[in-house]
Amino acid sequence: MKLQRFLIPMAFVKTSYIFLYNRLFRHDDRLLMIAAGVVTGICSGLAAVALRLSLEWIIECLHPVRHYTWAIVLPGIGAVLSSLYLNKIVKEAPGHGVPEVIYAVSRYGGLLRFRSSFSRLISSFLTIGSGGSAGPEAPVVMSGSAIGSNIAKVLGLNDRQRVTLVGCGTSGAIAAIFNAPIAGLIFAAEVILGEWKFVNIIPIAIAAVAGAEVSQAIIPEQVLFNHEPFRLGIIDSSACLGLALGTALVSVLFTKIMRQSGRFAKGTKVPVWCRAAIGGSVVGLISMKFPVVLGEGYSYIQSMISGTFSMGLILTGIAVIAKVVATSATLGWGGSGGIFAPCLLIGSLTGTMFHQLIVSLFPETGFAGSGAYALLGMTGLISGVMQAPLTGIFLIVEITGGYETILPLILVSSLSSTITHYIEPASFYFKELIDRGQFLRPGTDARILADLNLGELLETKVHTAPENMLFRDFIELIKISEQNYFPILEEDTNRFRGIIKISAIRRYVLDPGMYDMVFINQIMDTRILAASMTDDLQEVLNLMDADAMDTIPVVEEDRFIGMISKTKILDLYRRELMMQTSPH
Amino acid sequence: MTISITELSSYIGVTPATIERWVRQGRIPASRSKDNFRFRIQDVEKWASRQNIQLNYPGSRRTEPVDGPSVKLSAAVKSGGIYYNVQGEDKNGVLEAGLEIMENIPADFKQDVLERILEREKALSTGIGNGIAIPHPRDPLGYLAYPMVTICFLNTPVDFHALDHQPVSMLIFLFSTSLSLHLPLLSSLSRCLKNHRFTEFLKTGPSLENLVKEIEILEA
Repeated sequence: MKLQRFLIPMAFVKTSYIFLYNRLFRHDDRLLMIAAGVVTGICSGLAAVALRLSLEWIIECLHPVRHYTWAIVLPGIGAVLSSLYLNKIVKEAPGHGVPEVIYAVSRYGGLLRFRSSFSRLISSFLTIGSGGSAGPEAPVVMSGSAIGSNIAKVLGLNDRQRVTLVGCGTSGAIAAIFNAPIAGLIFAAEVILGEWKFVNIIPIAIAAVAGAEVSQAIIPEQVLFNHEPFRLGIIDSSACLGLALGTALVSVLFTKIMRQSGRFAKGTKVPVWCRAAIGGSVVGLISMKFPVVLGEGYSYIQSMISGTFSMGLILTGIAVIAKVVATSATLGWGGSGGIFAPCLLIGSLTGTMFHQLIVSLFPETGFAGSGAYALLGMTGLISGVMQAPLTGIFLIVEITGGYETILPLILVSSLSSTITHYIEPASFYFKELIDRGQFLRPGTDARILADLNLGELLETKVHTAPENMLFRDFIELIKISEQNYFPILEEDTNRFRGIIKISAIRRYVLDPGMYDMVFINQIMDTRILAASMTDDLQEVLNLMDADAMDTIPVVEEDRFIGMISKTKILDLYRRELMMQTSPH
Repeated sequence: MTISITELSSYIGVTPATIERWVRQGRIPASRSKDNFRFRIQDVEKWASRQNIQLNYPGSRRTEPVDGPSVKLSAAVKSGGIYYNVQGEDKNGVLEAGLEIMENIPADFKQDVLERILEREKALSTGIGNGIAIPHPRDPLGYLAYPMVTICFLNTPVDFHALDHQPVSMLIFLFSTSLSLHLPLLSSLSRCLKNHRFTEFLKTGPSLENLVKEIEILEA
């Protein structure tokens, strides 16, 4: 009874929502998308702030025990708990989750599971809180995207709108965790969606505002890293060329070590939680000598930007390697978290190191302070690793409030991403997807082929012929049909036997003497390649090319289903291309 | 006015499955009622022009089959008629005499028809052998109301430069009103003439009524 009393108003709400949607938003959903974007931005902002605050709390709690020697096992314990939680309880893959979001956006219209909206928050809380070398940004991106996706599901929105809300979730989360709305907007468009469209950008921008407002309302601090204004001259701009080269090399190194360590970990035959324990312990061990590798390491970044960082040139260089290894050990071996914060830390270390190097080489030249170089290094690494130059520029400007550094920032960012692209054409996020053949950016050939499924192309109204048909009867069949290919089936069982290509038998068709002499199984081609319904279009096209066929039969368990022709593919491909690349 | 997914798919020329996917992906404006989609004509037109997609409304596309409206040979013979004892000394003479006695060709056009038929004969004789010729103009005669097949039995066989060099004793005039009628008529005529029993029957000079009956049997 109670349930029914609850259900009737629900049904009413649903009916009136559908009515309103059809009336108001069917043609122009911009207002609806902006409203939904605000809600998404607020929710993902709250998620980001929650993770941020709980991380601050746990680091505060664990601070007193850090100086004990046994504290080096803490990252291991955290990583084990995190991987057990991800594996056994919510059953999700380890890692940072950004490639999964990108794939969901390009393949499934942004469909994400509801549990993804909190699972990564908890697992990365365990990993980072215990000292694992990772950042909280990718987890909040994952959860923000999942929140957006599920809000779209509740509202019954279509794929395009859902993708926009996933972008809103991303931008809200980044905006909230860094208090950087523009970086949120740009990251969502540049990395997650891969397209800049008017209809997407507006709600995503609004969501970024909402996320940043939430964060500012709860955490009053305005800028993540404070600093005195830097004075950068023309000499620093020239030094940027060298710095960009340095950050590009470190980016490539970081990407390669991350991927290798992940591959190596997958190759080992120990249970997942054991792997996480090993990874965590490695981080713990490194932290004995270099506490800089622990957690997100924002306090060290702050000290570098303020110019109070005390390590020497060689020690800083080793710290870069240590952080790279620690991050690979955390993320590659089953911990959970993102690479934003490690990139920032490695970048600022690289920048500081570079500054120490040039100052020792040219002691007379008046370079700007080391803090400025730490900042430029961060940009270089973000743009290099993610190959997202705009995200690199705006993120650093916003988290440091250092607009006066914008010119060298642009320089380092664009150079670093270009040089990295020379050595490693795919960014850290995309590499994984490319390896799995899941990299489907909007408007690309792969994306269009992935969207068209065989059912839409299949021609099922096809004349078939039994294999024991007399050639004369087959001639009659040719007369009434416009087909160029005739599938031949086994009598009684209807199994697919082969195909007759009219162009291949033209000689016999024009020779009436043959009509009563042969049966069609004597002239059919049985070595023909056939596609199956489970193939994707790319495979079908490859089959056609291999056999130089412009029409291919589709056969499922020996049964003929239909034909697929290149004419039809071209027709639909063109329409799809127009649909996907239209500016609206 | 709204249309269904099946109607829209026929206008655009893609399968309903494709349209369903487009709706799901938010590429085409649709309104949802219970469990199927409806599309408003105005929305669809706006959308199509924006996406540069052509809509083919029923009727706007060439729907009639390549063969066109068909006319049976028996019907054409019935409207053409049979003429016996046509006089004439040579090819041109019999053609002229044959046309002269035909009642269903308006007198004003007879000269034009004759010229066209002679022109066709100049290119290649229509004497197909076995004493039969099928004179016809190359282009359809637009001014005739309906297609006709007229049979003329000659008083004396004449040399028609036939394929088998035999004199021709029977002319089967073929007048069609359009090209799409010409080929099917010629095709069914030649199918009939391949039938040995039919040609023998034809040579006996049967009455129109009996001939039409015989052709109807062959056509069935």
